[in-house]
Amino acid sequence: MSAVSWFGVVFVLGGATYAMRAGPILVLADRELPAAAVRLLRNVGAAVLSALVVTLIADPGAANRGITVAEVAGLVVAIPVAYRTRNLLITLAAGMAAFWLALWLS
Amino acid sequence: MTATTDLPQVSRQALADAVPLFLPAIPFALVVGVAIRQSVIPAGAGMFSSPALMAGAAQLALLTLAGTASIWAVMSAVIVINARHIMYSAALSPAFKDQPRWFRWFGPFFLLDQVFALTAPHSADSPAQFRRYYLVVSAVFFTGWHVSLAAGLAVGSVVPAAWQLGYAPAVMFVGLVVFGLDRRPAVVAAVVGATASFLAIGLPNRAGLLVGALCGVVAGFLADRTGNDAK
Repeated sequence: MSAVSWFGVVFVLGGATYAMRAGPILVLADRELPAAAVRLLRNVGAAVLSALVVTLIADPGAANRGITVAEVAGLVVAIPVAYRTRNLLITLAAGMAAFWLALWLS
Repeated sequence: MTATTDLPQVSRQALADAVPLFLPAIPFALVVGVAIRQSVIPAGAGMFSSPALMAGAAQLALLTLAGTASIWAVMSAVIVINARHIMYSAALSPAFKDQPRWFRWFGPFFLLDQVFALTAPHSADSPAQFRRYYLVVSAVFFTGWHVSLAAGLAVGSVVPAAWQLGYAPAVMFVGLVVFGLDRRPAVVAAVVGATASFLAIGLPNRAGLLVGALCGVVAGFLADRTGNDAK
């Protein structure tokens, strides 16, 4: 494919991504959402971000798809640390330390 | 997080929240920079994909799948990976109710995972405070992402692969999930979302992410209806 058509592909994908990000805001911002919709949307953060974590770790695109012991160890440590400290850098340091330790031990 | 009318203070809070959150994204940005060099997509179009998509995972899929799959397969992969932003946008729409028109059109361009995770808890702030917080967080991610990506493009990935820093964003997002678990339905949504996306991991185009996310949202909704809203 030529450079021009690749620019076209990227442009279309950029437009599609923007439409997905902007569409609901532009359509819904002026409306009063029904209580049920509000209850549904309240859990978007928890549901999407936790699904994202699993996708990042299990990496469906890679040949070695799946979750390793070290990756689980990192999460097992990171979750209570996040809950107790509410501090992202401490959570990150603890999770990575547990992950590296488990990698080194295995 | 405390309410304040002082906009410079809102900016400082936004910087303090966004900068540490950006750090784990740096190795990933370096990887994407290297992928631009190695992709069959010409470098110009590859670099353009960065501001055009503002989404690292989708961008990496585009750069690495190009040439190995049909153009339609590549494009649908990018769209499926990015479709979660529809949910972010809907969830954040009440915060845009009293915002000026320019911000409604301009703001969503930056609605990436981290920007959503940081700004959603500020939905109830005053319109001016929310806008300031959102714009500062967006500026950190837009600038930081492009600077790191340029570094990856120029010098390659300077971080040794053995460090496995690719794991860091997952830990960071786990932290963000935990910070947001203030109600029992949210816990249900997180657990079901993670479990369902794991079970659906074999679906093409990383559609397992979407399936898991939708299952989690519905499960949280049902928990909200059947149980009480207490912790």
